[in-house]
Amino acid sequence: MDTVLEVDRVVTRFGSDVIHDGVSFAIQRGEVVALIGGSGTGKSVLLKEIIGLLRPTRGAVSLFGSDVWSASDAHLNELRGRFGMLFQDGALFSSLSVAENIAVPFREHSRVAEELINPLVGFKLSLVGLSEDTCRKTPAQLSGGMRKRVALARALALEPEILFLDEPTSGLDPISARAFDALVHTLSVSLGLTVFMVTHDLDTLLSIVDRAIALSHGAVIADGTIEAVRQSDHPWIKEYFSTRPSTRNGKEQ
Amino acid sequence: MAEAPCWIAPELESGANILYLQGRWRLAHVPGIAAEVAALRLAGDHCVLDGSRLEEIDTAAGFVLLHRLAELGCIARTVEVRQMAEAHARLLTLVRERMAAPSVASPTRHRGAIERVGHAAVLVGRILRAQVAFLGRVGVELTEMLRRPGLFRLKETVSQFETVTLDAIGIAALVTFLIGIVFAYLLGVQAQRFGAAIFVVDGVGLAICRELSPILVAVIVAGRSGAAFTAQIGSMKVQEETDAIRTLGLSPTQVLVIPRLVALIFGVPLLVFVGDVAGIAGGILVSAWQLDIAPATFVTRLHTVLAPSSVVVGLGKAPVFGVFIATIACRMGMSVARDARSVGEHTTSTVVQSIVWVIVLDAAFAVALQRLGI
Repeated sequence: MDTVLEVDRVVTRFGSDVIHDGVSFAIQRGEVVALIGGSGTGKSVLLKEIIGLLRPTRGAVSLFGSDVWSASDAHLNELRGRFGMLFQDGALFSSLSVAENIAVPFREHSRVAEELINPLVGFKLSLVGLSEDTCRKTPAQLSGGMRKRVALARALALEPEILFLDEPTSGLDPISARAFDALVHTLSVSLGLTVFMVTHDLDTLLSIVDRAIALSHGAVIADGTIEAVRQSDHPWIKEYFSTRPSTRNGKEQ
Repeated sequence: MAEAPCWIAPELESGANILYLQGRWRLAHVPGIAAEVAALRLAGDHCVLDGSRLEEIDTAAGFVLLHRLAELGCIARTVEVRQMAEAHARLLTLVRERMAAPSVASPTRHRGAIERVGHAAVLVGRILRAQVAFLGRVGVELTEMLRRPGLFRLKETVSQFETVTLDAIGIAALVTFLIGIVFAYLLGVQAQRFGAAIFVVDGVGLAICRELSPILVAVIVAGRSGAAFTAQIGSMKVQEETDAIRTLGLSPTQVLVIPRLVALIFGVPLLVFVGDVAGIAGGILVSAWQLDIAPATFVTRLHTVLAPSSVVVGLGKAPVFGVFIATIACRMGMSVARDARSVGEHTTSTVVQSIVWVIVLDAAFAVALQRLGI
């Protein structure tokens, strides 16, 4: 197994606020990992540090074995081609249609011929379970769930090896949320994707995630399979899992 | 194999088409793969994909292959897979399941010249109608407010007044001061030739107070406050804050529009007055330097030649400009769609519409007042 992502003793401070105080973990290829933690524990901040948008105060992040924060711009851009990121609200470009949004990575970062882009965009859309007539719509005309699917199609465009998801199911109704989980699961299994997600959703956690990392007060308080994490004595974890009655006894219905 | 990489090797084995997929079928190599796949010819519609030489495959490359095979008449039933790593086979299955949709074609339509003109004309009509409707709605809400003065938001109005008026004094004074200098200078050069330098006072006083100061101030307010109003209300619309206001049983017109409207009705005349003073100060400066007219002489002359009606006309136009700028800006803000680009477009449109309206109104005032002999 090779390590795809390694976070090494990351420290983050905003002024006098300590967000992370030595966070370390490593993700192997093919794993589906969830980062959990209460609001304000710096999950999204950590995600931004991993994908090279925000520099940690101290510590190192390496993707595919190269340090994100000491890489040259060219090298960083090459790394960016190897992962996909799904932002919380999709972050679709509002001035472009759905088809154009998905075509952006193809146009900018691949040498795919223009006449092949349209079929590929159509294929990526159906890969995430959207129909053809979505193409000409603008992001403003889409529902939250569709926006996330389009954003996923865009994130998958360049055939990433690792996919980062920021709260993939937040703002979706339970049915759409489960459908989205199933989609991520299918893709991760069929494409051999490594998935690293920040989530609050217990259902996602219990259904598709192999491993959970819990963050609290700037440190990793638990790291392991869901079953192992659930056994933790940490009060936050206990409370987190007890929010769902059916999991209180450590057993799903 | 030292020659150019070969992605697919078709062979005929006992009457069956065997396609040996070779190497790393990745997005980066798709152009080469697509070229080879396009050149592929098959005997019959049966084929077998052999994965024994395949190292990697991703969805884009898989799609290119299956897309072409489908064109050649090979569909799910007639394509067999053999000796392929399980992950690769699974990926091809997923691609096949999901590729059913036909390709996307989204041609962008370009309008001809005549169609554009017609479209623009319809748009202007629509803008006019929307403006009148909005003025009417604001009027209705204002009457409602007159009956129940408790609805008036004094604090919000005062805070808007501060940003649109007090904070704009500097820029308004600077611009009119400089225009006063330029105008007095140009006029002075002409008047000096005829030895009529003193008439610069008449010209500067009349032009600044009656026309230049109101117009310039209105343009500044349109660019400064009008744009800000649209952007503020527009982003509130995007964040669904206006819906929240409505849900709380309040009227967005009363909460958002009327304070801004009142702020501009009172603010613009004050700024015009500041502009009058600054413009005349510019005139005094140039007259003293260039034309040897002492400031005291300038002021005395101004007293006798500048009719109070000119100043009043200038100040009187200001609230009307204010009403139009505020209503245009708020209407454009309220009609923002739910995306970021729309906020930008509407803000630009506010400034353009406001300036056009200000000049149209100013022309209407000039003609009307001329007829009335004021």
